[in-house]
Amino acid sequence: MFLGNLASLRYFLPEFAVTATILLLVVLHVVTKSPRSTASGFLSLLGVGAAIFLAGVAPAGAGRSIFEGMVAHDGFAVFFKVLTALATLVVIFMSMDSRDLAGRSQAEYYIFLLSTLLGMFLLSSATDIVMLYLALELVSIPSYLLAGYLKGQERSTEAAMKYVVYGATASGVMIYGFSILFGLTGSTQVAEIGRSLAAGKATLPMLLASVMVAVGFGYKIAAVPFHMWSPDVYEGAPTPATAFFSVGPKAAGFAVLVRFYYTVFAAADPGTGLWRLTSAVDWPFLFAALSALTMTVGNLVAVKQSNVKRLLAYSSIAHAGYMLMGFVLLSSAGIEAILFYLVVYLFMNLGAFYVVVLVSNATRGEEISDFTGLGSRAPFAAVALSIFLFALTGIPPFSGFIGKVYLFAEVIHRGVYWLAVVAALNSVVSLYYYTRIVRAMFFEEPKDASAIPVPAVSGALLVLLVAPTLILGVYWEPVARIAADSVRMLAF
Amino acid sequence: MVNGILDYLWLVPALPLLGVVLNGAIALLVERPFLLKEAGLPLAGGHGAGHGSHDDAHGASSHGSAHGHHETPAYRKLVAFIAPGVVGAAFVVALLCVLSLASRPADGRTFVQILFPWIQAGSLLVPAALQLDPLSSVMALVVTGVGFLIHVYSVGYMSHERAFARYFVFLNLFMFAMLILVLANNYLLMFVGWEGVGLCSYLLIGFWYEKQSASDAGKKAFVANRIGDFGVLLAMFLVFWTFGSLTYTEVFAKVPLLRESGVLTTGLATVITLLLFLGATGKSAQIPLYVWLPDAMEGPTPVSALIHAATMVTAGVYMVARSSALFLLAPDTMMVVAVIGAVTAIFSATIGICQTDIKRVLAYSTVSQLGYMFLACGVGAFTAAIFHLMTHAFFKALLFLGSGSVIHALSGEQDMQKMGGLKKYVPVTFATMFVATLAIAGIPGLSGFFSKDEILWQAFSSSHGSPFLWGIAALAAGITAFYMFRLVFLTFFGKSRMDPEVEKHAHESPWTMTVPLMILAVLSVAGGWIGIPAVLGGSNLFEHWLAPVFHPVAAAGAAHGAEAAVHHPAALEIGLMALSVAIALCGIGLAYFLYRVRTGKPAEIAKQWPTLYDVVYHKYYIDEFYEWAVIRRIVTISIGLWEMFDALFIDGIVNGAADLVRAAGDRVRRLQGGVVGGYAFSLLAGAVLLVGYILYRSVVQ
Repeated sequence: MFLGNLASLRYFLPEFAVTATILLLVVLHVVTKSPRSTASGFLSLLGVGAAIFLAGVAPAGAGRSIFEGMVAHDGFAVFFKVLTALATLVVIFMSMDSRDLAGRSQAEYYIFLLSTLLGMFLLSSATDIVMLYLALELVSIPSYLLAGYLKGQERSTEAAMKYVVYGATASGVMIYGFSILFGLTGSTQVAEIGRSLAAGKATLPMLLASVMVAVGFGYKIAAVPFHMWSPDVYEGAPTPATAFFSVGPKAAGFAVLVRFYYTVFAAADPGTGLWRLTSAVDWPFLFAALSALTMTVGNLVAVKQSNVKRLLAYSSIAHAGYMLMGFVLLSSAGIEAILFYLVVYLFMNLGAFYVVVLVSNATRGEEISDFTGLGSRAPFAAVALSIFLFALTGIPPFSGFIGKVYLFAEVIHRGVYWLAVVAALNSVVSLYYYTRIVRAMFFEEPKDASAIPVPAVSGALLVLLVAPTLILGVYWEPVARIAADSVRMLAF
Repeated sequence: MVNGILDYLWLVPALPLLGVVLNGAIALLVERPFLLKEAGLPLAGGHGAGHGSHDDAHGASSHGSAHGHHETPAYRKLVAFIAPGVVGAAFVVALLCVLSLASRPADGRTFVQILFPWIQAGSLLVPAALQLDPLSSVMALVVTGVGFLIHVYSVGYMSHERAFARYFVFLNLFMFAMLILVLANNYLLMFVGWEGVGLCSYLLIGFWYEKQSASDAGKKAFVANRIGDFGVLLAMFLVFWTFGSLTYTEVFAKVPLLRESGVLTTGLATVITLLLFLGATGKSAQIPLYVWLPDAMEGPTPVSALIHAATMVTAGVYMVARSSALFLLAPDTMMVVAVIGAVTAIFSATIGICQTDIKRVLAYSTVSQLGYMFLACGVGAFTAAIFHLMTHAFFKALLFLGSGSVIHALSGEQDMQKMGGLKKYVPVTFATMFVATLAIAGIPGLSGFFSKDEILWQAFSSSHGSPFLWGIAALAAGITAFYMFRLVFLTFFGKSRMDPEVEKHAHESPWTMTVPLMILAVLSVAGGWIGIPAVLGGSNLFEHWLAPVFHPVAAAGAAHGAEAAVHHPAALEIGLMALSVAIALCGIGLAYFLYRVRTGKPAEIAKQWPTLYDVVYHKYYIDEFYEWAVIRRIVTISIGLWEMFDALFIDGIVNGAADLVRAAGDRVRRLQGGVVGGYAFSLLAGAVLLVGYILYRSVVQ
């Protein structure tokens, strides 16, 4: 049963909070004399904080379809709204601290950031392909602007340029796929499309459409072979924006990927926690291959990188590969594993990027050589970065290990052994390049041994990112429960 | 709030943890910068790196020297308030909880507080839960009570220490871990505490880490304990495999059922309990893993008292007693436990005879007394083991703290050959230590007498016991009396052999140190009165208190010692008691003769049997034997493995794989040309390939 537009409004409060903040930022941008004022940063923090509050304590009655079936208001969407808003919150803190952005207009930057957030909210809850496409563009377009925010810097401009071209191509292919689906089924509702497709048998247009949609989503989560844009964009964009891209839009991409494929091409078997394919398109196998390919390419290329930002870009490609494993298993536990992994990934990846921000603030560089001797120059930041990197590798007792345990356990449980073997081998490779940074920090003599001061506020934020990385490594039950509940509330 | 004060049981471990957090913040944010500034060091490098010579025992480098009398920084006062305060508060909460528990009927005295579900993986469900029952309440009271006194004592003893806050962080952390160990309701959480106390022990033994011997001793303790931990881990796996649970109540409740169904065979029970006991030999310093404990005396003396005498080292005894339901199913293990306990008791007692370092004498004495406790466990007298554990905590903590007071008075001197006649300088220390010595020697009326005699009697009369075990234990008791009085005579009586410079500064310790001594002295006297056996007209409250923990167990398991004891006439019990007292008096008499009357005699004896003296003086060359038989073998094998297996084989594979990965990475990287047209092409090409692939699959199908 669809809820009408007006009645839907009360389920749309987080989006309102973000929209209102964007509007206020526009006003602020016009009225303040100094564009560099930190007021816009604080305003954004408030707005996103309010959004988290409103999304987290959402009104009862989750599991309904609102705005005439355009958008779902369910536990799954709430989970991703809180997750992406949390990532945005951390990124705002990072941005306020970043020297890259200092001296540039602040309000505009936050307007783009929050517009992306709004797009991510919609992307994780859209249940209509028109809405879905709009949401995807709402994520993409401000992202292009964020990537090119360092006007005058060649790398940044280049990043934005490549991002636009690549994004346009990908979304072109995707909307072509959507148009085929509409042509086949005569509906724009994903649930309706799923029902129609289940009735018919596999046809070439259906196969084409399923792959073309995969291109669009694959681009958003940077899965190989649709990842080409991401290293260049990650390297050129301001570091906080890079951190944001590697977590926020990627998480929203996973949200839409799961929602779309599990609605259109699969149906839940009630009571078993399993799903079955409804159409003859064997997309799980397709994505299993993509998963293996993505993690392997990401890790292999990361090995050769000397720029830490670029290295982390490839590492985040590899992590998308790991998470894709959970996507192909057709089981609730697999999706739960993705959700859980996204939570731990949020903290460890943002944490790693945050230390990069702190170091490049001081050294003006992001090469591994800029990290030599960090262990004595800024011991706290170095230890924190080591924790994040070990967590990213998946070494106990850090949170990344538990995340991988959930993923691997379900992969093995569902009998996809070859994928588990590939992922395990990949984890070993990743250890190599993560520890290269650790080695540089603790075992190599710095050229310049002067201490790097870490301001108290930055230290506090670092603690807030380290704490979940450590705690979720030993006590993860509540987050796992939330993830499980969110999947159970996946309604269309 | 249905359970009244018991609902606040979580506070007992939480309060010391609060102390860790507060003192930790002070240590990191205040003390460290303060010490670095004082040392004139801009960056990290360890505190006091400029002061190389921490060679006196309690690190009192400032004692009477140049920078001795600057003002106490305020943070130290705060630490001195917080650290004992939280432990004292924990003691009060524990006491109230135990009283509340005691008001329940005897068969309802098990209170479980589930804090949160901790691990849920498949069929493994482990909650983070605390359990207060008669056994854990004894442990909790001893740990918090003695712990509190030692914290107070430490404030005085460590007053010259630079890293004051760091010390108390470790000490509070130890209390937290120890309380988790004794209050856990399952093996896994207990193991967390078990490892936690091991960590704190390591940190505190090596507290003066600039000193090579201290950091070596820390490592030795750690390694010896790892060997034992391996046993505990395997035992836990087996317990889970057999019982499908790690929670005490569930495991022990399933024992009769699984016994009947034949799942829990005697062989399996023997393996589980032997592995548990291996862990106990590590933690509680029994043969063959006792070697770390004497070296652990490198730590500050209050640490020796708290961790290496009163609490942590008794964890093994606690664990064995806790698992009594399993041990009683394995008569072979029981025999091993009893024999190891008895042999350890006498073996280390003999080493104690020839040691001249006051703390080392006490260390060997601790090993020996722990042997008694295991002997008691081995003959099925778990109550007696826990009783002795408690009284030992009182008098041994007192002995260590007393020795600390002596060492403090003598500016760090630990060699008894350089003491003598200290009675008049440190009267309180002397009086209290003398009481403790009487207690450990087993003089009737004092705590040690009741507990030790209970063990001796059970060793003789229990169905697991034998007169032979009694004989060894009684002989060890005589030796104990001898070396303890030797210690007292050498330290406090006779002419001074002190360095005149040291003698000038000899002084009684401040009240923070003497008051805990006095309280412990009272406990050393009266602590045994709650366990006066029936044959002496007592009501043995202690045994009745612990009965719900051990008796159902015994009933379900094999024959039980206490029941067998009924058949022995009271005259026999009294007779044996008198005999053991006589043996102890002989030991005291001999010590008096050798160290008061004919003071030249010990040296003569040593000369008369040089080989014997040499072997005992060198602790039977056990350390040297381990060095030769184990350590050097391991090093040889390790070098072999390193050069042949690791360097050639493993490194070959690893480097080969790494080269392969790098080469592959290089190839794949070239695909990323950087030209945006190429990117768009790659996207479309990827899409086409995927379509082809999926078409191929559907055609094949």
